[in-house]
Amino acid sequence: MAVVDTSTLLAPEPVVRPREASRRERWQRRLPLLPALIYIVIVTQIPFLVTLWYSFQNYFFDVPGGAHWAGLSNYKSVFTTAAFRSALWHSVIMTVTAVIVAMILGVLFALLLDRKFIGRGVVRTLIITPFLVMPAAAALVWAGPMLDPNFGLLNYLLQPFGVHHVAWLSTHALGSVIVVMIWQWTPFMMLIVLAGLQGQPADVLEAAKVDGAGALATFRELTFPFLRPYIELGILLGSIYLVNVFDQVRLMTNGGPGTATTNLPFYLYEQVNNAFDVGGAAAAGVITVILTIIVATFALRLFARVFQFEGASS
Amino acid sequence: MSALPLRTREPGPQRFRDMSVKVGWGIVAWVVGIAFFLPVLWMVLTAFKPESAAETWPPRFTFSPTLSQFRLVFSGWGPYVTHSVIATVGSTILVLLLGVPAAYALSVHPVKHWRDGLFFFISTKMLPIVAVIGPLYVIALKTHLLDSIWLLIILYTAMNLPLAIWLIRSFMLEVPSELLEASELDGAGRIREMTEVILPVISPGLVSTALICVIFAWNELFLALNLTVTNAATMPMFLISSVPQEGLYIAHLSAAATVASVPVILVGWIAQRSLVRGLSMGAIK
Amino acid sequence: MAHVRYVSATRVYTKGTPPAVDALDLDVKDGEFMVLVGPSGSGKTTALRMLAGLEPLDGGRVEIGDRDVTWVQPKDRDIAMVFQNYALYPQKTVAENMGFALKMQHVPRPERDRRVREAARLLNLDDQLLDRKPKALSGGQRQRVAMGRAIVRQPQVFLMDEPLSNLDAKLRVQTRSQIAELQRRLGVTTVYVTHDQTEAMTMGNRVAVLSGGQLQQCDTPRQLYDNPVNQFVAGFIGSPAMNLQTVPLTEGGVRLAGTVIPLPTAVRTAASQADLRELVLGIRPEHLHLADGTGELTGEVVLVEDLGSDALLHVRLTGQTDQVVARTEGRKPPAPGQEVTFRVQPDDVFAFHPVTGARLAG
Repeated sequence: MAVVDTSTLLAPEPVVRPREASRRERWQRRLPLLPALIYIVIVTQIPFLVTLWYSFQNYFFDVPGGAHWAGLSNYKSVFTTAAFRSALWHSVIMTVTAVIVAMILGVLFALLLDRKFIGRGVVRTLIITPFLVMPAAAALVWAGPMLDPNFGLLNYLLQPFGVHHVAWLSTHALGSVIVVMIWQWTPFMMLIVLAGLQGQPADVLEAAKVDGAGALATFRELTFPFLRPYIELGILLGSIYLVNVFDQVRLMTNGGPGTATTNLPFYLYEQVNNAFDVGGAAAAGVITVILTIIVATFALRLFARVFQFEGASS
Repeated sequence: MSALPLRTREPGPQRFRDMSVKVGWGIVAWVVGIAFFLPVLWMVLTAFKPESAAETWPPRFTFSPTLSQFRLVFSGWGPYVTHSVIATVGSTILVLLLGVPAAYALSVHPVKHWRDGLFFFISTKMLPIVAVIGPLYVIALKTHLLDSIWLLIILYTAMNLPLAIWLIRSFMLEVPSELLEASELDGAGRIREMTEVILPVISPGLVSTALICVIFAWNELFLALNLTVTNAATMPMFLISSVPQEGLYIAHLSAAATVASVPVILVGWIAQRSLVRGLSMGAIK
Repeated sequence: MAHVRYVSATRVYTKGTPPAVDALDLDVKDGEFMVLVGPSGSGKTTALRMLAGLEPLDGGRVEIGDRDVTWVQPKDRDIAMVFQNYALYPQKTVAENMGFALKMQHVPRPERDRRVREAARLLNLDDQLLDRKPKALSGGQRQRVAMGRAIVRQPQVFLMDEPLSNLDAKLRVQTRSQIAELQRRLGVTTVYVTHDQTEAMTMGNRVAVLSGGQLQQCDTPRQLYDNPVNQFVAGFIGSPAMNLQTVPLTEGGVRLAGTVIPLPTAVRTAASQADLRELVLGIRPEHLHLADGTGELTGEVVLVEDLGSDALLHVRLTGQTDQVVARTEGRKPPAPGQEVTFRVQPDDVFAFHPVTGARLAG
């Protein structure tokens, strides 16, 4: 039975309670943790510190002379650059839209798959496949064989609806990228919600039947409240993954047309790769990290609250 | 007391209605499944086309299939797939080597501030790698690790380690405490406890963890794109290279995409049941 | 309030396997407390669920009142059910749980609240509990909420699926009488499922004993105890269980532990008519009267269970390996190892067919 398990997170009683430990004992406990801890600190914190350093420097790859102190000028230009603000805005739109639509579809699909029917396992496998396709592959396949104005499958399928040779990646670039994000992440949402649905105790649903609740009433009054922790978890995790989406932007539209689909990750990529502006990219990076920390703190608090819910057992 | 012949009654109108509702929704589910799978199907189909049949209008569903695209792919993929395999397997092994003891220190015999430790690990996951890519490039350059497979192994390990620690920890917490207490009474020390009790019990969990790491490492594009050129280029890079500046390439691209995606798709199909658990970092069983 | 009728009701789970419920014919009178009892797998829960509409019928029909409800939805059968694990709605408060069915029927709020409060009072549920969620309640409280949910609906029939099995022993005894009293007060036809024969005997107006999907006997508790219709019922009803043993027939009766136990003429006739050489003899523990050396059955005491008011003696009768259980006064029971003798009245003895289990000349 699927349970949103508090015990793996906040309040868990560890398996063996830490006794009043001697010094030796305490170091014995710490030792196994150290390799991983040191490794992560070195590999993630050092680059971040370097980023912080460079954010205060004027450092262009293509300008000889290395880095010079520039104070806060990089930060100033980031905040005043329309490109950064537009990338931020695009990130917000893409993430919010994709997460919400993917969750709605995920709930609907999970409801469909919760019933028994012939070939249910096969259908489930079919639906989760988009999630497993390499994002780079998905991006290129959608860009070419699916959405191309001249030979794309989508235009062909939409012909009876009066759609003719639309150049999706030119006229509806942002929408196209969002569609591919939704296509790849709906299965993720569905799996989480499905795990929740399958954890709903059967006798509660039978009691509702006897009490006279129809299908809609049962969903509204019982199933949806039961699913709330799962839905919240899905939205949380999905947002974390989706805000960093890069592959689809780079490979489908390369941020374009113009900067129509440039999101934060792609913007940072461009700063480094095309503008060679290490200092500016660093500053933008630091700001991105700060924004992420703010959002993540809210998210973690939500995470914490979600896990007070023990998957609703009576 | 023998039963009357069964099904003497016609299923009443209610039973019939129930059945048709059931079948109806089953059909809807199938339609949804096929629609969702369609782009993948199209990708695989196109991979078997000669280029002339790939960029046509209307798109062709019938054609004489050929393996020439795949042959092209397999003749070109050598270094890429090798690098992908090395980076994926290497980083996954490293993740397990570092992650198992760390998870142990955060679950079975926890350190004092295990909550802080856990949250530190998850916080590194939340920081976007894109933010540090510039300086990361510079560091890689200065340490001569640029375009080196070791760089990828190092970075992929750092990418997957937090997830793995949370996940392995969730498996360790499921080891019945009686088992651990019994082994303690039997005189087993820490190491024994790990090798004789814990590892055997959680081994399916370790497999799921490894599979999740494989999925993320294999599919990773951003770091590979920015930090490798030829000596460590991985499968995602191979895909990008199948898009030439000019000329027909759709069928070849589809073949490359198919080949690149198949390993992870298979892994995902097999590990379906543990996917949810892996993706939610152990929160949902 | 209405009577309930099972007419040849059958449920088969997979084709080719024996039915879970096999052509059940049962009449529950209006206002009666009918208990369905039997070991696990006997079909009692399935039969209840068929009445509820949660299991379809594969044959026969079910009637509530004078209506054939075989194909009617659960919500339209005017029934209320108490589930074994209570099945309370976890995110709803106690009051919302109890009022849920009324909400589904679009009963206006004030009326709903009134009925909920009335039911709560009936069950001794404090007002302050009404705003709590199920996980904040004790097992006993949850059980009462589950009952309250059923009572509020004022249905024609109450269905109860082992509602006491999750309570601890003391609470169970207490709640047992409360339920019986409640049913008497409300007068609603009740079908109650349990595996515990003590519950069945103390609560039911009539008890239906099921085994292997088939009805063995439906009677008042007294009748079941005094006149079991077959070996299964005889061995199932009564605690400690009736002593049952296969014994050879002999002149005038049967041979047991080296002595002859006389049987009534009717039984002997039935036995010879069925060409039997042996039969299954049944003697209840309280019918093995401890005699001071003058009884015809002799044996050695193996174990004494001192219950305070009574004592149960596990005795190995002469020449036997199996033990019988005898009930005697608690004050000064014989000690283990002691030789004892028993007297048995011929009228207290039951005889069953060794193959079919049917009572001979009952």
